[in-house]
Amino acid sequence: MILGADKDSFLWWAWVEDHYDDIWAATVEHLQLTAIAIGVGIALSVPLAAVALRFRRTYGPIAGVAGILYAIPSLALFAILFPITGLTVLTAEIGLVGYTLLILIRNIVAGVEGVPAAVKEAADGMGYRPLRRFLTVDLRLATPAIIAGVRIASVTTVGLVTVTFVIGFGGYGGLINDGLSRNFNTPVVVGAGLSILLALAIDLILIIFERVMTPWNRVAR
Amino acid sequence: MTADGVAIRLDQVTKTFPGASGPAVGGLDLTVPEGGITVLVGPSGCGKTTTLKMINRLIEPSGGRLEVLGTEIHELPVHELRRQIGYVIQQIGLFPHKTIAENIATVPRLLGWDKARTRARVEELTELVGLDPEHLPRYPTSLSGGQQQRVGVARALAADPPILLMDEPYSAVDPIVRGRLQDELLALQSAVHKTIVVVTHDIDEAIKLGDQIVILEVGGVLEQVGPPEEVLRAPANDFVAGFLGQERGLKRLGLLTVGDAELVEGPVVAVGAAADEARAVMAEHGVDWVGVRDQRRLLGWVAAETLNGSTIGPTDLRAFAATVTPEATLREALDVIVGARSRVAMVQDDEKGYLGMVTIDQIAGGLEA
Amino acid sequence: MDALNEFWSFVTTAENYWGQRGIVIRVWDHLRLAGFSVLVASALALPPAIWLGHRKRGGVVAVWLVNIGRAVPSFAIIVLIFPIAMRYGFGLGFWPTAFALVLLGIPPIFTNAFTGVRDVDAGIVEAARGMGMQEREVLANVEIPAALPLIITGLRVSAVQVVATATLGAYVGFGGLGAFIVEGFAIQDDGKLLTGAILVALMSLVVELVFGWTQRRLTPWAQQGVLANRGTMVDASMRDVEPLPA
Repeated sequence: MILGADKDSFLWWAWVEDHYDDIWAATVEHLQLTAIAIGVGIALSVPLAAVALRFRRTYGPIAGVAGILYAIPSLALFAILFPITGLTVLTAEIGLVGYTLLILIRNIVAGVEGVPAAVKEAADGMGYRPLRRFLTVDLRLATPAIIAGVRIASVTTVGLVTVTFVIGFGGYGGLINDGLSRNFNTPVVVGAGLSILLALAIDLILIIFERVMTPWNRVAR
Repeated sequence: MTADGVAIRLDQVTKTFPGASGPAVGGLDLTVPEGGITVLVGPSGCGKTTTLKMINRLIEPSGGRLEVLGTEIHELPVHELRRQIGYVIQQIGLFPHKTIAENIATVPRLLGWDKARTRARVEELTELVGLDPEHLPRYPTSLSGGQQQRVGVARALAADPPILLMDEPYSAVDPIVRGRLQDELLALQSAVHKTIVVVTHDIDEAIKLGDQIVILEVGGVLEQVGPPEEVLRAPANDFVAGFLGQERGLKRLGLLTVGDAELVEGPVVAVGAAADEARAVMAEHGVDWVGVRDQRRLLGWVAAETLNGSTIGPTDLRAFAATVTPEATLREALDVIVGARSRVAMVQDDEKGYLGMVTIDQIAGGLEA
Repeated sequence: MDALNEFWSFVTTAENYWGQRGIVIRVWDHLRLAGFSVLVASALALPPAIWLGHRKRGGVVAVWLVNIGRAVPSFAIIVLIFPIAMRYGFGLGFWPTAFALVLLGIPPIFTNAFTGVRDVDAGIVEAARGMGMQEREVLANVEIPAALPLIITGLRVSAVQVVATATLGAYVGFGGLGAFIVEGFAIQDDGKLLTGAILVALMSLVVELVFGWTQRRLTPWAQQGVLANRGTMVDASMRDVEPLPA
């Protein structure tokens, strides 16, 4: 019944074999949407976090707006964007990027604040100008916290991309929806399973990336 | 309260932690007398905190017998034991979700006291520990470290336990506040006469607070027990002497007051006395000056070479540079004498009434005695 | 802004509010489903979380739950539950969706409650034991109250997530506000679409605000005082377990 030879089981392997192309296309689409969302998310979050760190009063409003975006259910958000920006990648990305902002901004801010004040002072004392210090000292030392944020944002985004099926994309979500509308379990299981695997794979890659980027944290035992 | 005046008795009490190579406390024998402050002091790893925590069974002894107020600690449920013992810790541990008043009222509420009685007790304690009552409805985060410490003590005393345990109570506050809190504890103790056991790593704190100090070495080994003055005078061995520090003689002087010493009469004449009389007094004492007094009050002194004419008038006098009151410690007297480059200090009471003289030789003798 | 006009005309048409597919009943269904799911998730998650936190065990479970909860797309859960429910005769709509929502709602409640209780300052727990509180008194008088901000955070995160995911329930036959969105997409009715979307967005925000308000009311001590205004801007109640947008 589970792993079986017919349409009603949960994983009908024959279907999988026949549809490698579709599965591959879904993978590519899923990856693209995720990559763009994270990339743009980071590109927006770093300056926003910098502003919040420099002008403390702005943190409240910035986090507030990001928080509101975050609280809105994704389906609703895409539904609201759709009449404005249509069935386009832009619609999907505005929504996806919006969801990454809160996590990324919060983690960047927390990470930079967690850098010991003594280090920042020493850098200032050595003559680093504020922007350079921020980019080369603060952010570098805040890397673990930032990557933690990127991991959460990535895994979340991979899950959210599935919802973009409502505006014509969906990546693995397309497979899920396909199965749903045809009352056919296998694509659903494949879509869901691959989505989880992708999320975990990205998580793992980022963990390794963090190790590489923070050699000072590796303690000799 | 107890038949023999012993509040806490440890009889070969031992504690070995699992996986440790040796006992944290190995066979400790100790009695804590009622109504006094006993300080456990020693280097890191000497088991002082472990010993303290065995008294209220926060750590269970591995062996030996521990009696609190005549009862072996396992003969009653542990929470009943603890409710008879106030406990103050270094981090203070005020409940952040309760107001100051609620914090202090914790044990009374646990014991089922009614609201009126609890409230009265909270107010009484607030005054006793020197806390401003306007803090009562506030939360702990709004108080400074020193104030939180006072609340911690009030909370520990709330149900009026006969015994108070304090684990490094003042390590977390700055030295100035610490000194003040220590003075407050001494004042409090003179009002409530509890049996207090304090753990500290600071020998000066132990000397200041303790009626009895207990010096422990690593492994809970008892090196010496006794009143601070005695321990300072006669350390039992090199370890204790080293732990007391280089200035132990001076520390001991800090425990004795001028009033404790036998004051010498000193070369003093009345104002208006004849110069010859003054010279005679000088010769008698073997000095080249005399002090001059008017009735009881000491006015000043005059040196031999400035004596001219027949009588000593008030205008011939110079003021004494080294004077102390009887409440001053011998250490302070020494400080004054050395600072004035003198050999003696004149002792006066609050109205400048002359009481006598204390000499540097006497003080040096005190160092040795 | 054509779409907005359609939205406006939709919500201002009285008859859209009543009847089986009306706004009122869908809002009510949505709230009912979400509320029920959060309650069940709490009942399932809180006791073990608090107990394990008290005993300082099982941290691995908490981490694992969070990761799974995050990695599994909520849409997938709902869709997967559907055929199972069908096979075992639970019918459409409410029960499968509720089942999925309970599963989704458990991780934040569990993890936040667990971490909250576990990470209560050791000093105050020691002080509590030292003054003679028995274990259950320590738990009730000290650990749970001190952990309350995080416990409520977990409930808040879970509730927002459940409200959000309930919209997807429309795809498996449950009504609620998601139904407006599904229908709106299907028949290209922007008014309906936006109605569903805006209403559910508002509902999420209201839930978020209500919990935030509750937290401030119930734990005034976490806001007050010297420490609350110094230190980091990222306040202690926003830990890293965030709702999954659904």
